[in-house]
Amino acid sequence: MDIVKTGIAGTLESSDLMVTIKESGEDGIHLELKSTVQQQFGEEIKEVALAVLRQYGVKRCKVSIEDKGALDCTVIARVRTAVSRACGNVKYNWEVGR
Amino acid sequence: MISRLRRTMLYAPGNNAGMVRDVHIYGSDSIMFDLEDSVSVHEKDSARFLVYQTLRTMDYGRKETVVRVNGLDTPYGLEDFNAIVRAKPDIIRLPKTETPEDVMEADRLITGIEEEIGMEVGTIKMFAAIESALGILNAYPIAKASKRLVGIAIGAEDYVTDLKTTRSKEGVELLMARSQIVVAARAAGISAIDTVFSDVDDEEGLIRETALVKQLGFDGKSVINPRQIDPVHKIFTPGSKEIHNALNVIEAIKEAEAKGSGVISLNGKMIDKPIVDRAKRVLDLAVVARAYNPESGEVLC
Amino acid sequence: MDYMNYKERRALMHMKSEKEEVLRFLDGQGIGFEEDVEYTMVLEEGEKVVGTGSLNRNVLKCIAVDGEHRSMGLMNRIVGHLIQEAYQRGETHLFVYTKPSNEVLFTQLGFHKIISLHDEVLLLENSGDGFSDYLKALGGCKVEGERIASIVVNCNPFTKGHRHLIEKAAVENDWLHVFVVWEGKSLFPSDVRHALVEEGTKDIRNVTVHRGKDYIISAATFPSYFLKEGQDAVEIHGKLDLCLFAAFIAPALGITRRYVGEEPYCPVTKKYNEIMKEILPAYGIEVCEIPRLSADGDAISASKVRRLIRRDDYMSLWRIVPETTYRFLLSEEGRKIAATIKESQSRH
Repeated sequence: MDIVKTGIAGTLESSDLMVTIKESGEDGIHLELKSTVQQQFGEEIKEVALAVLRQYGVKRCKVSIEDKGALDCTVIARVRTAVSRACGNVKYNWEVGR
Repeated sequence: MISRLRRTMLYAPGNNAGMVRDVHIYGSDSIMFDLEDSVSVHEKDSARFLVYQTLRTMDYGRKETVVRVNGLDTPYGLEDFNAIVRAKPDIIRLPKTETPEDVMEADRLITGIEEEIGMEVGTIKMFAAIESALGILNAYPIAKASKRLVGIAIGAEDYVTDLKTTRSKEGVELLMARSQIVVAARAAGISAIDTVFSDVDDEEGLIRETALVKQLGFDGKSVINPRQIDPVHKIFTPGSKEIHNALNVIEAIKEAEAKGSGVISLNGKMIDKPIVDRAKRVLDLAVVARAYNPESGEVLC
Repeated sequence: MDYMNYKERRALMHMKSEKEEVLRFLDGQGIGFEEDVEYTMVLEEGEKVVGTGSLNRNVLKCIAVDGEHRSMGLMNRIVGHLIQEAYQRGETHLFVYTKPSNEVLFTQLGFHKIISLHDEVLLLENSGDGFSDYLKALGGCKVEGERIASIVVNCNPFTKGHRHLIEKAAVENDWLHVFVVWEGKSLFPSDVRHALVEEGTKDIRNVTVHRGKDYIISAATFPSYFLKEGQDAVEIHGKLDLCLFAAFIAPALGITRRYVGEEPYCPVTKKYNEIMKEILPAYGIEVCEIPRLSADGDAISASKVRRLIRRDDYMSLWRIVPETTYRFLLSEEGRKIAATIKESQSRH
C-alpha cells in the first residue's frame, strides 16, 4: 500500500495516542516514538505499530507517535486509522472474533 | 426468569480512548460504546477502528456489551455493521428506529454477516432506540420485528425535537412516549430502557426521574456519567421490605404445595398468579443485584 | 478521569457576546487575541470557559488554559482538538505560536522547536524534520560565489517594480535567490505569483526563484503581515521571521545581502524593513534598500495594479507590469482573479 497523503489519527489525551503517517523520500519505515511510558513499553509500542504497517503492506513512510499511555489495542486502532487515511481511506478487511 | 439486569447502560463515546478503556469498571449493568451521536463525522472511521479493536481485545466477562452503530441510512452504518458484528458484542443498538422494516433490514444484514463468518445465526442481539413520533406510534410492531430484539429504548432529545417541544425536568412531554415504550416492550416480552438524564450535577433530578420511570414500568435507564449509576441502581434494586414481602409470598406457595392445597393465601388474602409472578421477579432482581443471597437466605440491604 | 466534566466546542465568534467572552478569558491569561484566526474552540466546565485555542490556516495560536485547571491535561484536549480540526481542513504541517515558557509543554504534545526569541515568542512545528528538510532542499540550490543576494517578494502580482529590483540585485551580485511568499491569503494564488515571477525573470541568468513556503513571511513566521493594520505584534513577529531567515535560511544558501524595495505606503512592511536593518547586519547580512521605480511620477506597486484592475484600466496597467504579467491578466484565469479583486477590499 502506498502513502498518498499525510494521515493523522488519535488524540493527545491520557490513554490515547496521536499517530502521524506521511510520505517518505527514502525506502523503509522511519518510526519516531515519544511516550509517557517510553522506558517500560517503548519497544513494545513500536513493535505493535510496525506490525500494523506490515499488515497493510506499507514499505516506505515516516511515522511519528505521541503516546499518552495507550493500551496495545488503542495503538493498533489509531495506527490503522492513520494508515487508512494516509492511503486514501482503503477498505479494511474486518476480521472475525476476539 | 430475567436473564439480564439492565438497570443502567453506561455510554462511552466511541472515539474517546480513555472512556472506551474504562467504561466497564464503574459497575453499570451494561456498557454501550457509541459510534453515533457522540462521534463527529470526521472521526467515524477512527471510532469504528477503536471500538472494534477494543472489543476484540478486552475481556468484559459477563458484562453486557452494546454498540450503538450509525443508522443504515447514513454513509457509516453499513461499515459499522461489517466491523462490529465481527467484533461480537452482545448487542447492536440501532439508533432512530421508526418502522419495523428498519429492524428487519438490520436483522437481515446481521444474519448475512453471521452466515458469512460462520457464526450461529442469532448470536448478536439487537436493541432499538426509538426517537421520533412515528417510531413511538410503531413501538409495538418495532418491538415484535425481530427475534434478535431484546429491548427497546426511548431517546428523548430527538423525540422532543420531533414533537416541536423541549425537555422539562418534570417530563410531561415524554409521558405518552414512555408509557407506549413500556406497554410495547411488555407486550413483546422484551426490556424497556429509559433515556439519559443529561444534567450530571443534578442528582436530585435524576432520582426523581428514575423513580418516575421505574413506576411507569421501565427496566432501567441509560446513563452518561458513572456518578449516575449508584442512584439509578438504588431505585431499581428492590428494597428489603419488598424482598421480605416476596419471600413471604414464595413461602406461602411452598406451604400450599406442601398441604396439597390449590389455593395460596397469605395473611388471610388469596394470592393469584400476577402476585406470584411479581414476587418471583422481585427476587430475581434482588439476586442479580446482590441484594438477596438465595443460598443463605440473607437479605443484604 | 474526567468523564465528560469538560466539554469542548467551537466558539461562535460571529456572535459578539461569545467573542467577548473568549477575548476576556485570553486577556485574563495575559494573551492577546489575533484577528486572523479562522477557527476558535473553547473548553467549558458547565457554562464557564476554562480553556481556548484558535487556528489560522496551519498555525495554532491564542491558546490558554485557566490557571486553576492546569495539570488536568486540558492543554492536550485543546491542542488535540485543533490538530484534528486543522487536519479536516487539509492542513497537516502545523505550527504553534506561543510563549517560550510553554516549550516543554508543546514538546510533550509532539511539537518541535524551530526558533524562540528570548522571552517573547516561540515557534514550533509538528514535524521533527520539517524545517531541516526545507533547509536541506534549499542547500541543493546553493551557488558558490562571493556576493550572493536575496529578495523576498509577495508579487501580488509581479510588476515592473519587482522586475527592476530583481534586475538591479542580479547585476550587482554573483547570484540572486528570489523567495516568493507562499501564502494562500493573497488575491493571486501562490503558484500563480510564483509562475509570474519565474516567467518574468527567465531572461536573467543568475536568478533562482524559490517558494517561500512556511518559513518566510508566512502565517507562521510573520502573522501580522496578514493582519489588519495597527497590530502591535508587528515588531515581535518581524523579529522572529528575520531571525529565522538570518540564522538558518541565509547560511543554507550562503546569502550575504538582502535587497528590499523602499516602502512608501504600507506601515507594516515599513516597520518590517526597519527591523530588518537592525537584525540582518548583526548576522553579517547587508541590507540594500532600493528606491521604488516610478511611472508617470507615481511609485509602482502591486496594490496600484490591483487598484487599476478594479477600475478596469488595462491601458495604464500595461505600463506598470511586465509583458508576461499583462498576458496573464488578460487570460481566462487572470480575468477570474480580476473579478475577485473587484469584489474584495483586501490589502494584500
